[in-house]
Order: sequence, then C-alpha cells, then structure tokens
Amino acid sequence: MSSRYFSLLLFIVIVMASVSVPALAQQTLLSDEHIERIKSNCQSALGTLARIHANDAPTYINRNQTYFSIGDKMMARLNGRLALNRYDAAQLVRTASDYNARLTKFRSTYRDYDTSMAEIIRIDCRKQPVGFYEKVAETRELREKVNDVSGQLKSLIEQYRNEVILFQADNSIQLKEGQS
Amino acid sequence: MNDASKLPQDVAVESRFSKHKLFLLVVSSIVLALMLVLISMALYASSGAAQLDLSRPGYKAVQDKLGQPSTFESFPSTGPVNDQALEQFIKLYDRQIQPVLGDSPFNPESLSDHALGIDNKPES
Repeated sequence: MSSRYFSLLLFIVIVMASVSVPALAQQTLLSDEHIERIKSNCQSALGTLARIHANDAPTYINRNQTYFSIGDKMMARLNGRLALNRYDAAQLVRTASDYNARLTKFRSTYRDYDTSMAEIIRIDCRKQPVGFYEKVAETRELREKVNDVSGQLKSLIEQYRNEVILFQADNSIQLKEGQS
Repeated sequence: MNDASKLPQDVAVESRFSKHKLFLLVVSSIVLALMLVLISMALYASSGAAQLDLSRPGYKAVQDKLGQPSTFESFPSTGPVNDQALEQFIKLYDRQIQPVLGDSPFNPESLSDHALGIDNKPES
C-alpha cells in the first residue's frame, strides 16, 4: 500500500518537475558580477534608451509618411491609370498589395517595439537588474523585426520599379502606339 | 400605481433615492466620464495614434526633425499610358523613394549590451 503511494508521489513529482523545467530555463542566468555591472551602468543605459526612443519617433513618422505616400501616391495611381487604359498590370498590382501588407506589418511591429521601449524606461533597473536586462533583450528583438520589415519594404519598392521597367519592355509596341 | 396603494417600505426607498438623487447623478457622471477616458486611451494606444503623436511629454526636442509631408508629389492617376508617361513615372519615383533607400535607422545594434554598457565584460 505504502509503495503504491510512494509511486504515485514520485509520478506527481516527475510530472511537476518536467512542467517547471522549461519555465526555469527561460529565466536568464546572470553572474553576480554581471548583475552588479548592470546595476552600476543602468542609469546611463536608461538615458541612452530614452534618447534612442525619442529620436525613433520622428524617424518613424517620416518613414511611415513616405512609405504610405509611395504606395498611395505612386503605386496605386500608376496601377489605376494602367487599368483605366486596359493594360494587364496584374504583377504590379500584386507587388503593390504585398507592399501595403508589409506597411501594415511595419506599423504594428513598430507599435510593439515602441510599447516595449516605454516599458523599459519605467523599470527600476537598480531594483530589478535581471528584469531590465531581459526587457532590453526582448526590445532589441522587436527593433530587429522593425529593421527587417523596413528592409522588406525597401526591396518591394525596388521590385516595383523593376517591374515597371519590365512592363514597359513587354508592352513596348502598344506604348509606342499610345504615344501617337 | 397611485400613492395610496404604495407599501410603507416602497415609500421609504423612494424618499431615500430622492434625497441622494444629486449625489448619485454626480457619481454616475464621474464613473461614466472615467470609463469613456479609459476607452479613448485604449483606442489611442492600440490604434497607433500614440506613435504619431509628438506632443507627448519628452518629444518636444525632436519635433523639428519632422519632414514636410506636402513635399511628396503625386503621379496623375488619369491620362494616357505611353513611354513618356512611364518615363515620367520612373523619374518621379526615383526622386521620391530616395529618403527610404538608405540603411534602415532601426539597427538593433544600438540596443546591444555593449552599446548600453550592460554587457558581461567590464571595460578594460
């Protein structure tokens, strides 16, 4: 009877341990020296972070405005003009659509990054050095995502330009007729 | 239901309500206003409007870094499509995409442990 209880207890302990191990593994293990270094330098790090955060805002607004204008005032207008003149511009429309989807992603990714940055600045880094360090790492990943989406938008802008040149070459006869 | 048919306890509840009518009105107005503020703040944060708002505290110093949105020229959406129109488009496009063709300003290295001075290796 007691051995059965012991087996049951052992089973419960193993199950609980297997559940809690991944959770423990997620915590960052920092040496005492490293924690001390974070504590001593975190005030200047917070100053740097606040400066980066403030400078990011106008950069984002300018980029967002330019990205939006490229899609709305250039791509959409050319696509509309080609459709009005009964040209098949399916590839250009697809690229413009991908571009708009990436722009939406850019905005949402930046929003997550901005929220995370605001949260770091509110952390008391002397009392919570590990939490501060983890939040910086998380925010760095979000900034990398913003950087990646920005790169994808740049590629789509260049791709659209190349496709316009290709369209021009593919439809050279009709385009010359349209000129007369 | 007229007053004569009312039970004494109903009359008591009614008189208590009428005694505190003004107080209840003020409290419910404040609660409603707080709820509306919370909803609008949630919308402000979730819609992305907060990221475009440089009137927030701490952003005054960087307000002058904003570009002029009206400088972006639109390509006409009507008109013939010919070589000349497409060349005009390419020319305008090349000029207007310049500000976003350089390196991304969101380089994650600026948030590296080393850049922030919170890396494991102390400076020698």
